[in-house]
Amino acid sequence: MAMAGYTYSFDHEHLLGIEGLHPLDITHILDLADRYADATRAGKRADPVLTGRTVVNLFFENSTRTMSSFEIAAKRLGADVINMPVAQSSVKKGETLIDTAMTLNAMKPDVLVIRHSASGGAKLLSRKVDCAVINAGDGTHEHPTQGLLDTLTIRRHKGRIEGLKVVICGDIAHSRVARSTTMALHLLGAEVHLCGPRTLLPPGTDTWGASSATTDFDTALKGADVVMMLRLQLERMDGAFLPSRREYFRYFGLTADRLALALPDATVMHPGPMNRGIEIESAIADGPQSVITEQVEMGVAVREAVLDLLAGTHR
Amino acid sequence: MSLSIFNARLLDPATGLDAPGAVFIDKGKIRDVAKGQSGPHADAKETLDAGGLCLAPGLIDLRVKTGEPGDEQKETLATASRAAVAGGVTSFVVMPDTRPTVDDVALVRFIRERARETAKARIYPSGALSVGLHGELMAEIGLMADAGAIIFTNGDIPIANASIMKRAMVYAASHDALVMSRPDDRALSGSGVMNSGALAARIGLSGIPVEAEWIGAARDVMLAETTGCRLVLDQVSTARTLEIVAEARARGAKVHATVAAHTLFFNERDVGDYLTYCKVNPPFRDEDTRQGLIAALKRGEIDAVVSAHDPQPPEEKRLPFGEAAFGAAGLETTLAALMSLVNDADLPLLDALAPVTCRPADLLGLPQGRLKSGTPADLILFDPGKPWLCEREHLRSRSTNSPFDGRRLQGRVMRTLIGGETVFEFTPSS
Repeated sequence: MAMAGYTYSFDHEHLLGIEGLHPLDITHILDLADRYADATRAGKRADPVLTGRTVVNLFFENSTRTMSSFEIAAKRLGADVINMPVAQSSVKKGETLIDTAMTLNAMKPDVLVIRHSASGGAKLLSRKVDCAVINAGDGTHEHPTQGLLDTLTIRRHKGRIEGLKVVICGDIAHSRVARSTTMALHLLGAEVHLCGPRTLLPPGTDTWGASSATTDFDTALKGADVVMMLRLQLERMDGAFLPSRREYFRYFGLTADRLALALPDATVMHPGPMNRGIEIESAIADGPQSVITEQVEMGVAVREAVLDLLAGTHR
Repeated sequence: MSLSIFNARLLDPATGLDAPGAVFIDKGKIRDVAKGQSGPHADAKETLDAGGLCLAPGLIDLRVKTGEPGDEQKETLATASRAAVAGGVTSFVVMPDTRPTVDDVALVRFIRERARETAKARIYPSGALSVGLHGELMAEIGLMADAGAIIFTNGDIPIANASIMKRAMVYAASHDALVMSRPDDRALSGSGVMNSGALAARIGLSGIPVEAEWIGAARDVMLAETTGCRLVLDQVSTARTLEIVAEARARGAKVHATVAAHTLFFNERDVGDYLTYCKVNPPFRDEDTRQGLIAALKRGEIDAVVSAHDPQPPEEKRLPFGEAAFGAAGLETTLAALMSLVNDADLPLLDALAPVTCRPADLLGLPQGRLKSGTPADLILFDPGKPWLCEREHLRSRSTNSPFDGRRLQGRVMRTLIGGETVFEFTPSS
């Protein structure tokens, strides 16, 4: 894909988080992802900028969706892709993250895409290998390509990020998506409000760039341009962090009535997979304001852009 | 062989002595502390010119872990003692959470014998408070005490059941045994790996809240008050916990508290990019809390500062932060950590030394830890301002998981004597 009319050097060896990125870095990734998305929609084949490159998907946690998204993105750009769902392989035999990483590193891949259940897992890996590392989710820390794809989806719908009011609702405490998306949107000038039961709202969300953290979803929704619902892990319901599913749905479920509190053209998002009827009504999830499937589409485009910037042949 | 160490700055926290002078040692004991004397003792067979260095009692450390028996790849009594004497620690208590657990007389004897045969420093075994440290059945406190166990503790995981803890304390009190307990409500701190708060939330790590320590402390302190048991709260990390101790002490309870030296030096920000060398329990707290502890240290409210030496080999630390083992090597950096407070935080030198010399000695009922005629000549010569770079490859412990790795420190031990014999001498390459 041709570079933009300006020159900008994406000066990062890895993509470990949104933290550490400059707003211009984000804009640059989004601009490139925009072109990849347009090309795909137009049925055009992307330039094979990753020809001869090897991308390894190293997934210590199962995630068919994210792994497939990276795989498709890499293959569209001509890379050789090796999927290693380690969740069911050698790690079970006591091999550590670093041992696995060193073994893979010896095979000289160009990019390691890692998902790991431990916060800081991607960072640890990046210290031990010679290739580019992309964090595809580390524990409850970050999931930067999700933050970028959310931001891209919003930008394509609203034409801008700056000045938008975005409400993110759900299990903020355990969500790496909440961290990455909040940081990315904040860096580009959006006003981000976090919402959820008090037991799932961690302290210090202002340091992520959030404007507020509240248990009052209805008030937060007033005037919102974007409403993003997060998945509530089933094990956190039913008494551990909140009393019941129905109580959660009563206060934090996105219904048609509730969505009416936001701006009429408010965009509804969800990083998936959804718990229909718990955090979001099916009618809303499938309704005209929902861009949930488009988020998946933008996920591939963003991952193409990131792979291109970190390992593309024009670098 | 008699020895006179002269031209020294004598520091004795027990008496408040801080003056130039000389010390005379014979048959392993201090025989004379000559304040103001400029030259050596005339009747000494050997003399040592201290060159103006500080001469103080060797450090006494209430909390050291080795891997002996069972995990010798981490540390042995011998390697720990090598690190200890390089750090100026001449006496230390080893924890019972080895494999097997030190919960019977044979193991207490084993530790004492191995220490005598292999180690340079004086090593005192502690005994498990409960069998296997499982927190269910009381261990043989009386027999182990008779065999030389100097402290009874359940190690890192306190006895969860308050009724079992109470009975152990009642029983320990009848033997006048000293109980040491980690103030930690595990139901609250259970899955935590660093200080609870905004930073932990931001980097996605689970937190250990301060109230877990307060609640644990309140329980044990109240049990000490009602049972009459002598209690040391092990590694307190907030000044508020010290208030709980002070209040109980005012009511007549025999309660004391220790603080780990690294807790006085680092704060939670040092965890930074998931540095597992900074993963310790209790965790490094926020800066205000650290300052609160330093203020308490200045007020003399901390009975003992411990190294909390807990060597961990690379395979336990080269892991994601959440999965890595807790623990830091500390024997060689305790004095430097305290000297950093002397140099940067206006802590008087004698106040820095008291919690590592005479106060822990008093808790344990040991004669050393003071410059006093008739006590063991366990002494250190040190330069309180000498700068050095802590590099883990130069640490003497078998495992070098030090949070001080790469730090510039001040304060270095130049010579360590135990029973009048030099067991460590600093050379620029050592």
